[in-house]
Amino acid sequence: MSEVNMAVIKPEMMKSYIWLQTTDGSIQQVEQEVAMFCPMICHEVIQKGMGSSKSYAISLPQRVNPATLSLIFDYCRFHQVPGRSNKECKTFDEKFIRMDTKRLCELTSAADSLQLKPLVDLTSRALARIIEGRSPEEIREIFHLPDDLTEEEKLEPLKNTTDDPRIRLLNRLYAKKRKELKERDKLKIVDVGEDRVDDRSVDDLLSFINGGGDSKGIRTSKNKKKHQRKKDQQKSASADVTIKTHSQDSNGLNTLCHCAEVGNELRPDQGETSNTQDVEDDIFARKSEFDDGYVDDEIDPALKEKIDREVEDFARRLNSDWPERMQEMLSLGPEIRPLHYSANGNGRKYAKNQMRSRNDISPDWPHGWNNFDQMLMQMV
Amino acid sequence: MLKKMSYSSFPEDVLEHVFSFVQSDKDRNAISLVCKFWFQVERRCRKRIFVGNCYAVSPRMVTRRFPDVRSVELKGKPHFADFNLVPEGWGGYVYPWIAEMASGYPLLEEIRLKRMVVSDESLELIAKSFKNFKVLVLSSCEGFSTQGLAAIAANCRNLRELDLRESEVEDRSGNWLSLFPETYTSLVSLNIACLGSEVSISALERLLGRCPNLRTLLLNHAVPLDKLANLLRQAPQLVELGTGAYSADMRTDIFSNLAGAFSGCMELKSLSGFWDVVPAYLPAFYSICTGLTSLNLSYATIQCPHIIELLSFCPNLQRLWVLDYIEDGGLEALATSCKDLRELRVFPSEPYGAEPNVSLTEQGLVSVSEGCPKLESVLYFCRRMSNDALVTIARNRPNMTRFRLCIIEPRTPDYLTEQPLDVGFGAIVEHCKDLRRLSLSGLLTDRVFEYIGTYAKKLEMLSVAFAGESDLGLHHVLSGCDSLRKLEIRDCPFGDKALLANAAKLETMRSLWMSSCLVSFEACKLLGQKMPRLNVEVIVDERQPPDLRPENFPVEKLYIYRTVAGPRLDMPGFVWNMDEDSALRLSRKGFRTI
Repeated sequence: MSEVNMAVIKPEMMKSYIWLQTTDGSIQQVEQEVAMFCPMICHEVIQKGMGSSKSYAISLPQRVNPATLSLIFDYCRFHQVPGRSNKECKTFDEKFIRMDTKRLCELTSAADSLQLKPLVDLTSRALARIIEGRSPEEIREIFHLPDDLTEEEKLEPLKNTTDDPRIRLLNRLYAKKRKELKERDKLKIVDVGEDRVDDRSVDDLLSFINGGGDSKGIRTSKNKKKHQRKKDQQKSASADVTIKTHSQDSNGLNTLCHCAEVGNELRPDQGETSNTQDVEDDIFARKSEFDDGYVDDEIDPALKEKIDREVEDFARRLNSDWPERMQEMLSLGPEIRPLHYSANGNGRKYAKNQMRSRNDISPDWPHGWNNFDQMLMQMV
Repeated sequence: MLKKMSYSSFPEDVLEHVFSFVQSDKDRNAISLVCKFWFQVERRCRKRIFVGNCYAVSPRMVTRRFPDVRSVELKGKPHFADFNLVPEGWGGYVYPWIAEMASGYPLLEEIRLKRMVVSDESLELIAKSFKNFKVLVLSSCEGFSTQGLAAIAANCRNLRELDLRESEVEDRSGNWLSLFPETYTSLVSLNIACLGSEVSISALERLLGRCPNLRTLLLNHAVPLDKLANLLRQAPQLVELGTGAYSADMRTDIFSNLAGAFSGCMELKSLSGFWDVVPAYLPAFYSICTGLTSLNLSYATIQCPHIIELLSFCPNLQRLWVLDYIEDGGLEALATSCKDLRELRVFPSEPYGAEPNVSLTEQGLVSVSEGCPKLESVLYFCRRMSNDALVTIARNRPNMTRFRLCIIEPRTPDYLTEQPLDVGFGAIVEHCKDLRRLSLSGLLTDRVFEYIGTYAKKLEMLSVAFAGESDLGLHHVLSGCDSLRKLEIRDCPFGDKALLANAAKLETMRSLWMSSCLVSFEACKLLGQKMPRLNVEVIVDERQPPDLRPENFPVEKLYIYRTVAGPRLDMPGFVWNMDEDSALRLSRKGFRTI
């Protein structure tokens, strides 16, 4: 037996100390039983015979600084005492990990390098709790992490608040339309139901109302067996249900007035200045960060022109009085009606350089990856 | 200058260890958006993936990014497929995923699928590709037969869960259950309630006898009541039981045998099944009712007095699914006996009848909302409703998180005032601040959508039918509901404007379904052309005569979903993707014959 080993195996009457050196050069001594609680130190002492004196101080890993070491030993000092109840340990642990995040990270790292698994678990769980429920920005701030994913790699959440100028404009347009329609005498809203006899099967018609995904015996083709087992009542009475639609003529004006009020109330107080941008401009103007990665050099210029023309065309038509349009679209008939062009349609301009690109699966991710993330949201 | 913490010194395996304590998908997603380093660490140690729309991403992209996944959950068809609004052959095939995972994830343990088409080939591939396969859940799936099940039974030595809930299974051979080898003992959960065919009772008994960890057993209708007692005696440790047909001739020996078997099942917490119930046999399980937390009586055609008696023995009930035979009286009794109730579903016994066959009104729901302080999830079919009742419910239960009201006749107004039910539903969204899911019914104007857009900030899923008056309604929802992920609409007068004005919103949602609305072809084309990260799919009505140009008619069915995988390659002829290619194809060739 070497001298070193004899020193370690001394009886309890004489308190032994282990000498440790941190990377900043400072050396300290700690009660043997406390230090030996750390597997790494234990290994150094037993296998290599280190730590018995100042000159043989154990070199601790780089991740262990003096402050952290002191914390670790507080932990060890408590836990190495035998016979502690679960409750005592739990109480101690809960108090112990109350520290700022920076310290907690250092502690986790240090505990790991000393192979002190219980402390690693304790601190890791604490860090996990800090992370849970937070947004990426918050996490970055708490942990002082760089924001180094590029704009291409991130997907900025799309804004859809009423601050959006196109939504404000739309609200105004609606309010205006409501007013115009209200004033017109010869207004006639098509009774949605009357021209169309709904000859879909009962099942189709009533299928939605029969509730959520786990509906019992309501689904038809899927659960025919279940249907048959139920009493055979249904089909006789309800073979040819025509949906009685809510007649709008009498209530039409009322609901319109109602909506007019709603439209007016809706006009948000912010942004009193009328935004002169055209609605469609904003709809189709892509945010620059989307376009950075989406260069489509495959688009044939002739084709592109055709698309742009179609889009302009449609935008013009979209601006026409929409009740008439609705009327056109709803009236059935084999002849093709020419689409109605409104006299007050403004020319719509499109940003010509909006390049649309196929989102090819690019090999150099994480381009577009975080769209993927947002799709991985757990459904409730 | 604030010194940045050097996280290069925070070793990767320690970070991975920290992440192992963060399991929710939402948190994992947040982690991957923090910085490059965290992104890398997170993706390598992600073990569980949930893809809410199987077409949002390609299988290859998943396996390439997450190399070590052990558990996959996928969803296919839109929810309205449950109501036959999605034609046969639409899609949702799981085979490409299985094929990719067979090579990418040899250690895969769990597959959970919902509304997907699963072929026997897929099941066979699962059976031979994943040595450590443990969990297979097929919820509302179709396309497979007992042959596929046979492959699973015969080959998956480590199988723990086989759950076929609500799936459609073709009956080819009856003996698949016997193919579990005699050495197989690891079964924990078996749900065959949807199977039409018979299974060998003796094989089942032997299986139960050698699987001591079995906790869940949901039998199908074909298992007769007189066999149930024996099965229970083989598995007294059951926590969740679904009976087969619950009827037999009235015989005291059968009854006492059954009652004895039930009383031995001290761990039972959940009961279901109960097809063809003979009420006289109900008391057979009264002895275990105090432990019940979940009771599914939605197939049990028992009348109110029996239900009330049964409920009186179940003070710890948390979930009840029941037919409307329970009536207002029964619901009142429920409100008195079951103070711990969290979830209530009341299904209609005769939805197609013109007149109500039971005395179930809004009053029943009001009673429960008053008496059950923990009630947070409701699915309720009824024939009449009032704004007052809805306001009362909203005030009673601000903790409501899921509220689905189905007034059977479309556009039914408040029966007291003949007014629309806008104010009632408005109260629901205003008071129930944590509402995540809402289904509307009854007579509704654009006003209800204004309320929803204003108040329902946590709403994630909204189902609408026969409601609203104009685009303003849709616009309110799309512009106001910050948390909206799934929106499904049918038969509402919503058209192009709201959709186009809120095009950007669609990329923040999982999906939008609109059928029998007023959206035009051109608007769909526009959306498809201008939004590359959306798939705008139009389902063409096959009944329309082929010489009519579709551009002049509103789109019959529209399904829009965000994706990074581009247009899908498995569309049938009646599904058109409105990106530039198909639009061009359309305008050149005219109406496509299907």
